[in-house]
Amino acid sequence: MSDSRKPTFVDLALAFANIGLTSVGGAAGPLRYVLVKQRKWLSEVELAEMFGVAQALPGAVAANVAVMLGDRFAGPLGLFSSLFGLIVPSLVVALSLLRIATNLAAVNPRFAAAEFAVTAAVSGIFVSNGIRVIWQLWSGAPDLRLAWRCARLAISALGIILVAGLHVFVPLAMVVMFACSLPVEMRLRSYEDGAAS
Amino acid sequence: MTQAAQLLSLAWHFAVLSIFAVGGGISMLVPVMHQEVVQQYHWLDERAFAESLAVAQSAPGPNFLLVPLIGFHVAALPGALVSLVAFLVIPVTIAFFVGRLLHDHDNPLMARFRTAFRPVTGGLWIASGVVVAATVDHSVVPLAITIAVAVLSVFIDIAPIYWCLTAGVIGYLLA
Repeated sequence: MSDSRKPTFVDLALAFANIGLTSVGGAAGPLRYVLVKQRKWLSEVELAEMFGVAQALPGAVAANVAVMLGDRFAGPLGLFSSLFGLIVPSLVVALSLLRIATNLAAVNPRFAAAEFAVTAAVSGIFVSNGIRVIWQLWSGAPDLRLAWRCARLAISALGIILVAGLHVFVPLAMVVMFACSLPVEMRLRSYEDGAAS
Repeated sequence: MTQAAQLLSLAWHFAVLSIFAVGGGISMLVPVMHQEVVQQYHWLDERAFAESLAVAQSAPGPNFLLVPLIGFHVAALPGALVSLVAFLVIPVTIAFFVGRLLHDHDNPLMARFRTAFRPVTGGLWIASGVVVAATVDHSVVPLAITIAVAVLSVFIDIAPIYWCLTAGVIGYLLA
């Protein structure tokens, strides 16, 4: 935890309400912005860890992150306050939209173009999220031998090839990537231990 | 069907479904949900399903809000709440225990398990950006927006919603 002050139930609910209400087309962008940049509760790579675990488990990623972060910072009750913040405000908005639901994109083709543009922006944010993590892995460990840093880079590159290039089913790609990543981190541990002693 | 029976059946349906929501999104569950709630159980018609899906995807909020929206169509507010809780209870329980296990500071192996996820997520974020971009970037404007946001947002760290709003306005004006 980068911040010494422990978040209260209210902090958690507000932070996750912010994430929920600004999530358009995926929560990864707002999760990173609120938890890393704004609140400084996690570093770039700590969020990447938590997000990865959340994605490997069943259920929605944002909800799983809310649970793990809420519990870690404020105990079992903390997870309910972050889940509440994530879900309830945006559910109220969605339910009220349902009552006045008109398909804007069908009414005006300009709205369809605007929706496409927003999705394009979301995809750009996913990419920059990834760049930040990879950059942090590369530059955040200057003492680490080049080979180890290249190994980590190669694992990220493998994922890009598998998912974006070969359209491998994401859970399967995650298993393959993790199977490559874990031995690297284990070897790294023995290397670090050796360097320390 | 009595309301209690209907709520119970909603709860069972979404609890089972939640276990299969692996890999992050519920987007891959949409066809299964459609088949079951529209064609098999006739809980709601095609139009109501399409409406719920459109709202869940375009309104702010996590995409799994589709679940309580379907529940709302079936049994109003109690339906929404029962579906939501049923969909969350199993994953939340699992995430709670796995989160605790992974943050067990007395176990050095767990720290390695966590750090091993770093390059995995980094790569998958870029990959999902490319995958999402491929669904909309069929012309020069969205493609330019994807590239511009990917590059600029690395250096200008503002809330993602501002990039989305700016892009939306540009898309609207250039259409």
